[in-house]
Amino acid sequence: MGVASLVLGIISIVIGLFSGGVLGWLGAIIAIIGIVLGALGKKNPESKGIATGGLVCSIIGLILCLLLYIACAACVGALV
Amino acid sequence: MHVYLELFGHKVASYGFFIALGGIIVNLIAVYILSKRKMDINDFTIIESIGLLGAFIGAKLLYLVVSFKDIDWSRITNLSYLTQIMQGGFVFYGGFIGGIIAALIASKANKIDFRSYADEVIFLIPLAHAFGRVGCFMAGCCFGKPYDGPFSVIFPDNSFAIHGVKLFPVQLFEACGLVIVSFALLFLKKLLSRQFQIELYFILYGILRMITETFRYDAARGIFFDLSTSQWISILMITIGLASIWIQLKKSKGNECLAD
Repeated sequence: MGVASLVLGIISIVIGLFSGGVLGWLGAIIAIIGIVLGALGKKNPESKGIATGGLVCSIIGLILCLLLYIACAACVGALV
Repeated sequence: MHVYLELFGHKVASYGFFIALGGIIVNLIAVYILSKRKMDINDFTIIESIGLLGAFIGAKLLYLVVSFKDIDWSRITNLSYLTQIMQGGFVFYGGFIGGIIAALIASKANKIDFRSYADEVIFLIPLAHAFGRVGCFMAGCCFGKPYDGPFSVIFPDNSFAIHGVKLFPVQLFEACGLVIVSFALLFLKKLLSRQFQIELYFILYGILRMITETFRYDAARGIFFDLSTSQWISILMITIGLASIWIQLKKSKGNECLAD
């Protein structure tokens, strides 16, 4: 789980930095899954280190995706 | 009121900036509180993240349901059109319901006591929401009715709000209300020894939303019998909150009688 979290975290950072806004929403979803796997991985002492790395990467990826690309999430819809 | 901000030489969407800022601040507070109470941060992260994923899906799904007729479904396979739909249009209440369902499933699957975590940190949800509303104000979305009194605002041409008309700053009004709800929950948490926190959030936010909805002017509000869809959901939330408190009080009274 730690490795999967790290991979997803790195993918979300790459999407956040280089997708030009097109896939920001996908990056956010991938980052959230990475955070979940990282937190689950941290419970296992063997994969704690790599899971922590994955958790941190996923959090950075999530912030990048949110920060750079959600122009107005709670807006365009009718009822928000 | 700026749709975009300049941050370290980069153009950043102010809405996303405020959401991220709110998220970082409330999570730091949550980690502080939970570590002080010696609760597992990993369990909290699992519930929160899966809840967030559920909220994302729920908010989007409800948006798709209410905008079903406005979406050109024949173009849905076009990546740029799909991205356009995915980036804009989320409904808070859809996210709220989706988030709670997902968090409950996650806590059940991982054998985590959802209630104990929620009672500790639920007052942070309205605080994060308040940041989101400030983001709405910056972007000019979720705007208020035309109004010429004190604190009225005219949004710039590039914002989502209607231009050149003085409007009621309903986003900031709701943000202030949310901060008050957050502090009220924090106060009641101590007063009621961490009881009924979820129910009180349902009731207080439901009341606030009932009020703020009457000042909203953006898009169609899905009016049924003179009330908007969000007002109907607010009534449902208030009812659930009150019913849950009543049931718990009745249960505890029954237990006291049995003990006597």
